[in-house]
Amino acid sequence: METLNHKEVINLLLQLAAMLIMARVFSELARKFKLPAVIGEIIAGIILGPTILGTLFPGAQDYLFGSHEMANVALDGFVQISVVLLLFIAGLEVELQVVWNQGKNALKIAAASMALPIITGFVLAYAFPEFLGVNINDRAVASTFFGLAISITALAVVARILMDLDIFKTQTGLLIIAAAMIVDILGWIVFSVILSLSESGAEGIGVWPTIGLTLLFTLFMLTLGKGLINRVLPWINKNLAWPGGLLSLSLAICFLAASFTEFIGIHAIFGAFIIGVALGDSEYLTEKAKEILHQFINNIFAPIFFVSIGLKVNFVEAFDPGVTGVVVILGLLAKYFGAYIGGRYAGISRKESMIVGFGLSTRGSMDIILGLIALETGLVSESLFIGLVILALISSIGSGPLINWAQKLKI
Amino acid sequence: MYQKIALALAFSPRIEALISETKRLVILFDSELILIHVGKKTTELEGKLEQVVKDADLPKDKTKIIWKEGKPGKMILDACREENVDLLVAGAMKNESFLTYYLGSVGRKIIRKAPCSVLTLIEPKIETTGFSQVVFNGTQTPITPFVIEQGMGFSKKVQADQIFILNEIKMYGLQMGTAAEDSEQEVAHTRRQLVQDEIKYVEGILEKLDKGDLKISIKVTGGRWAIELARFCEKIGADLLVVGDEHKLNFFDRIFPHDLEDLLSTLPCNLLIVKK
Repeated sequence: METLNHKEVINLLLQLAAMLIMARVFSELARKFKLPAVIGEIIAGIILGPTILGTLFPGAQDYLFGSHEMANVALDGFVQISVVLLLFIAGLEVELQVVWNQGKNALKIAAASMALPIITGFVLAYAFPEFLGVNINDRAVASTFFGLAISITALAVVARILMDLDIFKTQTGLLIIAAAMIVDILGWIVFSVILSLSESGAEGIGVWPTIGLTLLFTLFMLTLGKGLINRVLPWINKNLAWPGGLLSLSLAICFLAASFTEFIGIHAIFGAFIIGVALGDSEYLTEKAKEILHQFINNIFAPIFFVSIGLKVNFVEAFDPGVTGVVVILGLLAKYFGAYIGGRYAGISRKESMIVGFGLSTRGSMDIILGLIALETGLVSESLFIGLVILALISSIGSGPLINWAQKLKI
Repeated sequence: MYQKIALALAFSPRIEALISETKRLVILFDSELILIHVGKKTTELEGKLEQVVKDADLPKDKTKIIWKEGKPGKMILDACREENVDLLVAGAMKNESFLTYYLGSVGRKIIRKAPCSVLTLIEPKIETTGFSQVVFNGTQTPITPFVIEQGMGFSKKVQADQIFILNEIKMYGLQMGTAAEDSEQEVAHTRRQLVQDEIKYVEGILEKLDKGDLKISIKVTGGRWAIELARFCEKIGADLLVVGDEHKLNFFDRIFPHDLEDLLSTLPCNLLIVKK
């Protein structure tokens, strides 16, 4: 087995240290301004990457992130693991109980809040692929991806906003959370299918087998898989060290599921997400264990992933105000009105529908992951990806004040 | 509280015990008793049922026997609707090998679609069951104030010794996970606040109710309410669990079991399902 040499080990450790320190500094700054930590982490990446450090001190940036190829490969391994774990935690956050309890209303809102951005996004990207920067050779798939990317809601970010506004436990708050959970599930299923179609081209397994396998895997994991988890978890809790045994085996089954979906032609992150949903829904995974997993992944792996974004893209060179403007305006309006219309269709009041609209417009984690994978797959250009990141930043900053404003409206 | 109490009867070895338990409730609540039997009305069965009624010394003027033919679940529900029944009493099934209790498919169908509250007794006795330790589901749902009100009314009548109201902090893991971006002090404050909010919620409901001599204790948990309630009932050896049901369950609830369905598959003790 090939190993890193002395210098590469030092370089890798310095890379990780720089990423974690910068992420911590900037997420603390973000916290001071009541913003999600992810914003600070993305800014930390932009500073460490070619955009700022690479421009001001190219030597330093090159030494840290460009001088040792093998160290970069190892760092990429960390980033891959981070994204898989982020999806795992996103799955754990989905509580099917909450979704069932909110029932049809949440489903109507989630469906409408996804349908409008997907349709408008698709039409726009299909009509102007070169302007927006979607892959013209994979036009239909790339355009669908663009629509999907602007239709995602960041569950963890919106949960935090609702908690800060003290409306998490209200009927409207729970409706937003349940709808965001449905958006997560539908979004990742659709994305997995789109991605497999794009990758498949000539050698893939084809549209219907991919859709069939995705749905089959989802159904299997949420029924029989969950049943199996319910049998194994009590044994783990009783006989193995706690939380050590649970943590290591949870991550092991997450990696197993991720490698399985990658093997059958669906992206690894989908397996991690669905196993997260199945595990999180088990009555034997205690809330304390969920909290530990959250802390472990959100404070170590999430910063590595979000900082790595800034290392891959030059946010000044690739910035296109036209593309960013279109992505931001379309993203905000289509998602807001989609959720608003869904709310009205579900029979909730105008004011509540507005709150739901602003709540579901919150982005800031999953959409960025989705965007980065699409960028690496060649579906979108760097300019479009930057537009998506800026949309995430603006929506996560703006949602709280907008929900607060809507709450005070006398309508 | 309950003007009409119905009992779904089958000619099983537990028929006397079930009638005895129901008779006690009928007397306590000063109600009318409706006995529902689904099956062909033959002279032999009619005589048998009359004998059971006679042996149980049921008040004739307040007892009505209904015979129905057809699918048991549907017929029992029809009878409840026709007679405007307020409480339906039923017996649970016993899994002999695991010594656990559960509801069969007919029982589940009745609970899903019943127009009235349903009391399921796991081990009916001729000398009747005492409801000493009663647990209510206090988790924040629209029906919870009604559940607590009904549960208190029931507990006072049956002279319960101790009431526990168990509250679930919804999505505790997600809330604490997102709070983990804060300082240690802030996280501790959030944790305390989540518990306090639940206690305040129940206290707000209790304020408006006549508690009589009941001893009430509020407990807060961070898991899924149905599972946590079942565990808590087993731990304290509860005699009765009171929960609400606000929506009709359907086919998908069987494939992806949750909340109430979790409880019906393994009954931790006697179960009163309150419906509005």
